[in-house]
Amino acid sequence: MSAGASTYGDRRGILGALGRDGLLQVILVANTVIMLAPIVIMVFSAFKTTPQIFQSPFGIPDFTQVANFAKIWSETNFLRYLLNSFFVTGTSMVLILTLGTMAAYAIGRYQFTGASFILMFFLAGLTLPLKLAIIPLFMLMRDLSILNNQLSLIFVYTAMGLPTTVFIMTGFIRTLPSELEDAARMDGASEARIMWSIMLPLVRPAMVIAGIQNVVPIWNDFFFPLVFIQNDSLKTLPQGLTTFMGEYTTDWGVLFAGLTLSAAPIIVIYILLSKQFIAGMTSGAVK
Amino acid sequence: MREGPPSSSARAKRIFMPQLRMTGRGLWITVLIVPPLAFVALFIVYPIISAFAYAFFDWQGLRRGAFVGLENFHTVLFVEPYRSWTLNAFKNNVLVFFALMVLQNGLGFVLAYALWRELPGARFHRIAVFLPVVLSTIIVAYLFKLFLHPLFGVVNISLRGLGLGELAQPWLGQSNTALWSLIVAQAWHMVGFPTLVFLAGMQRIPSEMLDAVRMETQSEWVKITKIVWPLVAPSATIVFTLLFVGAFNWFELPYIMAGLDGSPFGSTDVLGLYFYRTAFGNVSAGQQNFGLGSALAVLIFIFIALVATVITVRLRAREIQL
Amino acid sequence: MKTNILRIGSALAAMLVAAPALAQDLTFWSWRQEDRAAYEQFIETFEAANPGITVNFETFEATNYNTILSTALAGGTGPDVMMVRAYGGLENVASAGYLEPLSTETIPALADFSEASLAAESMRSDGTIYAVPFASQTQLVIYNKALFDQHGISEPESWEELEAASQKLLDAGVIPFANGTATAWQNETVTFGLGSSLMGKDFYDELMAGTADFTDERFTGALAEIADLAAKYFPDGFIGLDYPSAQQLFGSGMAGMFVGGSYEIATFKNMNPDIEVGVFAAPGQTAEDEKLVGLYFDGGYAANAAGANKEAALTFLNYLASQEFGQAFADTLSNISTVPGVTFQDPLLAEVNELNQSSIPYLMLAHFRYGEPSGSVLIQGEMQKLFAGETTPEAIGEALTTGLAAWYEPFQN
Repeated sequence: MSAGASTYGDRRGILGALGRDGLLQVILVANTVIMLAPIVIMVFSAFKTTPQIFQSPFGIPDFTQVANFAKIWSETNFLRYLLNSFFVTGTSMVLILTLGTMAAYAIGRYQFTGASFILMFFLAGLTLPLKLAIIPLFMLMRDLSILNNQLSLIFVYTAMGLPTTVFIMTGFIRTLPSELEDAARMDGASEARIMWSIMLPLVRPAMVIAGIQNVVPIWNDFFFPLVFIQNDSLKTLPQGLTTFMGEYTTDWGVLFAGLTLSAAPIIVIYILLSKQFIAGMTSGAVK
Repeated sequence: MREGPPSSSARAKRIFMPQLRMTGRGLWITVLIVPPLAFVALFIVYPIISAFAYAFFDWQGLRRGAFVGLENFHTVLFVEPYRSWTLNAFKNNVLVFFALMVLQNGLGFVLAYALWRELPGARFHRIAVFLPVVLSTIIVAYLFKLFLHPLFGVVNISLRGLGLGELAQPWLGQSNTALWSLIVAQAWHMVGFPTLVFLAGMQRIPSEMLDAVRMETQSEWVKITKIVWPLVAPSATIVFTLLFVGAFNWFELPYIMAGLDGSPFGSTDVLGLYFYRTAFGNVSAGQQNFGLGSALAVLIFIFIALVATVITVRLRAREIQL
Repeated sequence: MKTNILRIGSALAAMLVAAPALAQDLTFWSWRQEDRAAYEQFIETFEAANPGITVNFETFEATNYNTILSTALAGGTGPDVMMVRAYGGLENVASAGYLEPLSTETIPALADFSEASLAAESMRSDGTIYAVPFASQTQLVIYNKALFDQHGISEPESWEELEAASQKLLDAGVIPFANGTATAWQNETVTFGLGSSLMGKDFYDELMAGTADFTDERFTGALAEIADLAAKYFPDGFIGLDYPSAQQLFGSGMAGMFVGGSYEIATFKNMNPDIEVGVFAAPGQTAEDEKLVGLYFDGGYAANAAGANKEAALTFLNYLASQEFGQAFADTLSNISTVPGVTFQDPLLAEVNELNQSSIPYLMLAHFRYGEPSGSVLIQGEMQKLFAGETTPEAIGEALTTGLAAWYEPFQN
């Protein structure tokens, strides 16, 4: 019937597709410019003096002029904040992944009464906005005598990270084949030994996903330090940044340098591992 | 062969196994499960339950006083000045939610659709759109605060440079621009998230289905409404719910950009700020009141839980229907 | 192995011997992180004069200080001696019974302190004093001397002269006032830093007596003048300008005046060591009107009622109330010490002290922060509205009076 009609249709389709793709491409390019411009301005401004920022906000700076960074390095607690953030985030991640894997392994690998109830218990924590429980948390930390102590942050972050981790890891552990496990069991290996040397090496990919999903919010968190930590030398980076921004208000070059330095670690890692980051951070929402 | 039988036999074996070594294994499971459970119980479940209990007491500073029943709830909902503060913050949250629904999720859908075409440079665009998502809200808030500075901010400098000086505004100082400035900053920060969730949803649409619809119509619109949208509906449900919870928990960005008071005159006040201010006080003005703060927390919590459930149930129902 | 046991044993013995001395260890909490060096020096002086007592100074962030302090006190881990706020902030802590009541018996020097300063550190209900007041702050106008000289401007004597001076600066391309009002509490500072003389002492007395309220013309008239001045002579877009940016404008010499507290003087000196500043009380309508500054007390030093070393704490408080300390405090920290008889070497400080002789209290802080909504919350928001042209001075008077009536009895009929 319609050799002609179909060619006609195809041609119209191709033309339409070209026009449509052109429009989509324009949208994408415009959006990317909007996404990157603030970051580029931030980085550029970090290498400028304050008058230069005011006069030519978009100008390309002299990248050898690092006076702003030198000032941050020598005059502020920035390095301290950075180390604190590494310590708090690192310790929390170790705890989350260890405890999360333990729970997921028990739920995913063994049949026991209450297993599904325990999974539900963990999942309930998934959607609860813990910020709203800040008053009791504050009192709890006081009673544990860990207010103004980084342990308070580590404990809260660990608890907050567990539900997603248990969720992701349980799903993954359930899919693992059990031949190796069964064989080892026949050979008389202990349960701990089976978990440690046979199963754990297999769950690494899920750990990466769960790790990334948690590491970004923990690294970036501002709310809990705001309430729990008062001592300047204990502050994490986002909280320290507020102190720093308050002290150097007059010097925009230093402010932008501070923002750039705070953003740099995570931007660099993201660019290197963008695929894992995207997968990890959207894993709770993509099923 | 590899996939099917072994897993079913494994399952069968696992059911028998526990009876053989119950005691040892029971202990082992306990060792595995108790520490993580304890963390969640102590630092999530217990505080949330306590938050409910706290709201029924009168508090003097950090000391719990008498049981007052529903009085704290009554105060924050019906007694001035709390009544108008609560209402004002709530209204702002509602506005923020709907505005972000369009700016963040709506734009996210469009961007996802564009990325899905795998046009040249798609990989780069995908990385770029998600880049702000990994930044700390604090960085984003300060960045936009500096950009929107009335005298030296890049926005006003650019407007003046383009001869549009009369469009230069004290963005964060006017009640009609302040909240919108915050919303735009938030949308910039998070638009990458719904984009990539939608994209993942689109990428799972089977190509046969697309081919089938392409046979029937040339219209891009029909394709989107009949195939793409219904099939990414599960992603939409999650994205909507997360946005809802996020919008009603909004705190960091307004805290940095507008201050704890929701300046100017409460036009950027949202429930998160209001709750924090009520609970912990404010050096330049208010006093701390854990009772009223807890009542607010409980109300916000119940509201979020109810609406999130409704959203999920209704949208889920629609997913099945289609 | 044996030597180890011996070592531990001797260490334990040493600790037992040292125990009585350790009992005199005081912890002293403060929110003044920037004053650490000065305080450590004061403490050294005290320790030298009081062998056997050592004081450990710890600082916390100002914004959350009250929360931290009451948390610690409630949990029994509070300090022996602490800085506390004044007025409503003090009552918050004192009403819970955490603070040791003070009197002229325990701290004889208090007898000579001004009544207003002691009132700031007392409970309103029974007048019990809970802290030794340390400093007063003054809300006034700070100006850049070089800019004033350069443009031939002298300190204004009347509101008209203030406007003329501002106009002169504006014509010369200098921003007259650096202030911005995007940061809420700055609205209160601007209002009373500029408006105290316009409102006048009579208004204050009648307000306190309950015969006037905020709908009074003297108050609303002052607000109208302030809004008018701000619209003309504050920076472009000042309603979007936050507090640090405003400080920056003045500190960098881009603006001629800054309405603010006397505590700003030190900030500006730090920002720009070359800047030479002067101060004046914002004038009233005419040159004959008394020039008033807004005066308030910052806070005081208090002792923990449940402290283990109360005697040593009181000894330390007596030192903090002494003229010797007051003088050192004024000299090192460039603050107006509340200790009577202190002289001010710094001419600027002496001038502020001189201005303090005719003052009215910084109204909302001193009298209207005892309930919700506080007068501060109300005036801050209402002034932002006024500056944005979304309300009128009369409406503000109405809003303040009815708003405060929620807890302030004189307004309740």
